[in-house]
Amino acid sequence: MQINPHRWFGVGQSGTPDSARAGAEAAHAAVGGRPPKAVFVFASVSHDLPALLAAVRAEAGPDAEIVGCTTMGELGSAGVTDGGVSVAALGGDGFTVRVKVAPINQSDPRAAGAAAADAVHGLHDDNQVLILLCEGLSGRPHEIVRGAYSALGATIPLVGGFSADDRRFRQTFQFYGDEVLSNAVIGVGLGSDGPIGIGVAHGWRRTEPPMVVTKSHGPHVYQLDDQPALDVLLRRNNFDGSAEEFFDRGRQLQPLGLSRRSGEDIRVIHAGDDAERSVWGTADVPQGALVWLMEGDRQALLDGATQSCAEAVARLEPLPPLGVLAFDCGGRRAGLIEGGLDAEMRAMHAALGDAPYAGLYTLGEIARVRGALGMHHLTLVTLALA
Amino acid sequence: MPSWSTHLLTEYFTAVNAAEDERSAIAGAVERAAEMVDAEVGAVVRDGRVHGAYGFGPVVPEPEVLEVAAGQPLLLVPNVGELHAVANPLGDQAGEALVVARLAEPFAPEERQMLQGMGQVLGLALRSIRVLAAERHLRAEKERQATSAQTRQRLVETLLTIQRAISARRPLPEILDAVTGGASSLLGGTTVALMLAEGGAERRLTVASTSGGGCVPPESMARAAMAGGSVLVRIDARGVMMAAPVRVTGEMAGCLVALLAGAAAEDTERRDQLAAFAQQVSLALTDARTVEAVREAHHDPVTGLPNRALFLTILSRVLASRATVEDPTSVLFVDLDRFKAVNDSLGHDAGDQLLAQVARRLKGCVRASDTIARLGGDEFAALLHDSSAEAATLIGERIVAAVKEPFRVAGREIFIGASVGVAVSREPDQKPEELLHHADVAMYRAKKDGPGRVLAYQPYMHAEALDHLSLRGDLQRALREGEFRVQYQPLIRLADGKPVGVETLIRWFSPTRGFVSPVDFIPIAEEFGLIVDIGQWVLETSAAQVARWRRDFPELGLNVNVSGHQLVHPRFADNVMRALAIAGLPSSAVTLELTESVLMSEPDLGKAALHQLRGLGVQLSIDDFGTGYSSLAYLRELPVDELKIDRAFIARAELTGEDLALVRTIVDLAQILGLRVVAEGIENAAQLAALRRLGCGYGQGYHLCRPTDAAEVPAKLLSASIAVLG
Repeated sequence: MQINPHRWFGVGQSGTPDSARAGAEAAHAAVGGRPPKAVFVFASVSHDLPALLAAVRAEAGPDAEIVGCTTMGELGSAGVTDGGVSVAALGGDGFTVRVKVAPINQSDPRAAGAAAADAVHGLHDDNQVLILLCEGLSGRPHEIVRGAYSALGATIPLVGGFSADDRRFRQTFQFYGDEVLSNAVIGVGLGSDGPIGIGVAHGWRRTEPPMVVTKSHGPHVYQLDDQPALDVLLRRNNFDGSAEEFFDRGRQLQPLGLSRRSGEDIRVIHAGDDAERSVWGTADVPQGALVWLMEGDRQALLDGATQSCAEAVARLEPLPPLGVLAFDCGGRRAGLIEGGLDAEMRAMHAALGDAPYAGLYTLGEIARVRGALGMHHLTLVTLALA
Repeated sequence: MPSWSTHLLTEYFTAVNAAEDERSAIAGAVERAAEMVDAEVGAVVRDGRVHGAYGFGPVVPEPEVLEVAAGQPLLLVPNVGELHAVANPLGDQAGEALVVARLAEPFAPEERQMLQGMGQVLGLALRSIRVLAAERHLRAEKERQATSAQTRQRLVETLLTIQRAISARRPLPEILDAVTGGASSLLGGTTVALMLAEGGAERRLTVASTSGGGCVPPESMARAAMAGGSVLVRIDARGVMMAAPVRVTGEMAGCLVALLAGAAAEDTERRDQLAAFAQQVSLALTDARTVEAVREAHHDPVTGLPNRALFLTILSRVLASRATVEDPTSVLFVDLDRFKAVNDSLGHDAGDQLLAQVARRLKGCVRASDTIARLGGDEFAALLHDSSAEAATLIGERIVAAVKEPFRVAGREIFIGASVGVAVSREPDQKPEELLHHADVAMYRAKKDGPGRVLAYQPYMHAEALDHLSLRGDLQRALREGEFRVQYQPLIRLADGKPVGVETLIRWFSPTRGFVSPVDFIPIAEEFGLIVDIGQWVLETSAAQVARWRRDFPELGLNVNVSGHQLVHPRFADNVMRALAIAGLPSSAVTLELTESVLMSEPDLGKAALHQLRGLGVQLSIDDFGTGYSSLAYLRELPVDELKIDRAFIARAELTGEDLALVRTIVDLAQILGLRVVAEGIENAAQLAALRRLGCGYGQGYHLCRPTDAAEVPAKLLSASIAVLG
């Protein structure tokens, strides 16, 4: 007998290196024999992605919308994988799903965001959200999110994440149907007759003193307090060596917090240039901004995970969570290596009351419920469905 | 912590000015303004139309947005709700505004102020872009276009510098000078002055900063601009005068005025530039006011100096921001000598006045960039940047000299001193507390060598300080194990050389430390409260001894030193009487010696006990007379029987006329009051002869008789007269 409840949500994971098998295993667990409306696939760039997607399609059936992207690690109810795949599937009459894909034009990245936001057009459900899965190496992630927000306005919340390629920073991919895309934005308009909750939290704190970004261009930072930015970061970390050594030795992610009304808007610096003495990340660091180096201890990061989940689940009241999509920043992993990742998963389990969840480690997260700012770094963004 | 809003304006300015056309400037301005204040929606109203609408989605409620620009504080956005809205003028043009609105809560005053600044920044950028656009069409004016672009770039850079100065908490005058200097330079060297309104009903205007060197525009101009609340331009024969008002959290606080000599026409761009600088002044002053609020929590109210916590914070920041670990950072620990006596004798108000004056002098001894703090009580600290141990020691000596000069407090001259410890950071990760502690240890060591010294910290001092702690344990053991003993020094009647009494002196021969001087261990015994027990032991031991000697020398008296800590002990009088009773020594044979500073430090508590003892026949002596500070009033108020002239007055091998005059004064004074006078420290025959001539009744000293063990005392008592008569 086919079970087809009004709304359902399932997850599956696989760490097997055989891409087709990995896709099949994870999708099989997530779909559980039910006809899904959407299947979210988060996979390592090391997989044979077309083969993986074909296996997912075989499990999901021809009508399901398959979307997803590559990761810096996959996560889910079963734990964290590197080089693995994590899948979430949802279905039932209570959900409506529409997808819109837009390529990113380097000269106008916001147009892609605006175009992907079209996915919510035609949704009539009481509760709606736009899920964005975006290219992580466009260099202007804020513009993509602003594009989506400018098209939608404050009426619909945004969530999502930016794709990664493990730790290579070379090329990332997005999935739509059976296709593997690059440099694209996937917009998933999700409607539900049940409530939708979004949570966002980080768990980093400022280290004094702050610095003024005296010279920058896009994600490139040349000077902090009129001194070469690389020199400043090396000095603040008491590190003697080249940029490559610095960013390769466990400190590779340097969070910079911009002063904002609601706290810090964080940027992650992941590379530097010895000749130019500059550093850069994946997002814009505005010249003239006052920034703090951020530090996080393990407990604060774990508390952030709990807070994000609790916030998302609280918005579902009085219903319990059916399942959760999680967009966790790759930068948080740096603070949680050696056992901390398991602790984070336990914290999420506890906060979600054992509701299933699946997601990925990203190069940036999207969450907008209040205000206009939707782009984040070093956060855990959770989308809870009831 | 500076408010988040002050951080954002320059970031915003840079972003908006990067735009190349009006449309993108407006779009960028609206989006960033909305993001920065967590607003859901934003737009610009210009020429009666809505531009750059953001966050509304596909349908923009234009009429409602226009109403907000006209002053409506709420904005209804379909499917979102009723939002708190605020309109921020883009300049003087009526109806032009940057509008933002948010659901969560109304905008706070500081947010409104920042948004006002954003509106002005956008207006400036738009006009600048318009000028550029117009000029683009005129090839002939190509050069001027380049200049205008350069000016814009310079403006950005100048404002960045000022913003940095604000964020870095540079002193306010420096920031204000940077503003007038920057404005002057950008306006082609014209005179720019900042006039700030003082408190009080008249709200007088004073020039807080001026640059450019020419004549300052009239105050009336500034007043008119402040009354009107917007930039004012007047043209007369002298040129164009402009005045841009300065607000602090919405309140009119002053005016930035400029005189463009020789100019003959209104100049919108320059007017807007002046307005942008006025905005920076507003931010700096607002920030300074926030600082003032924070300051109250971190500053000592008596001196206005940073307190210990703030000092450590500043020190921590300085240590963290050192360019290299070789940059020495020095800390001075300053402890006042004799402050307690002033505070106790003249009252706390006078003590506070004195501390405030000390603070001013200390500040005068260091550079403006250095930090002086009051750590508490009579302890101060100084933080010196880029200062080697030698340089810091010199500053320390300057401080000692400055504090030595008399102070005028409560209508009288006060003399105090200071001891200074110096510590210099050497380690790359030196902890601020540690550095301050080192300076403290060095100060303690300096003080031990005598007041008014400066010493730089050496690691051995740390060991000494530790030793100080272990000394406590040793003292407790000494008392328990009977390591103390007493020696006696006879008091001689100078007229006939007869010993009339003995003074008891405590000695400690520690099995681990060897001989320890009372100068070293008495203060520690006092510090740790052991002095009461030690003092009691001395009294009991010597009273029993003297009682035995009195069988052969029936007139022999006993002088015993009493610490201030004993005097304030509630059972002091009882303890004394009990010791005498057990020993069988009549109270009239006993004289308690107290130092002047002890008598003054606890005048009331001491007085009661002393009167009680005096009533029971015990006599009182003022030890080290003349060295203490303050008046002779206590001689009238306290039941004193004897004055002991301090050895310092007769220390010279040959007494000068001045020395003699001082001693004579004390002797005369004692005669008038009917007191005995004992001269201490008589070391040669000349001193002895001079004191006898002056009529000094009694004496003590090596020349007469050295302190000696009990067993040898009877023999000394028999032979002492020979020295006097010989």
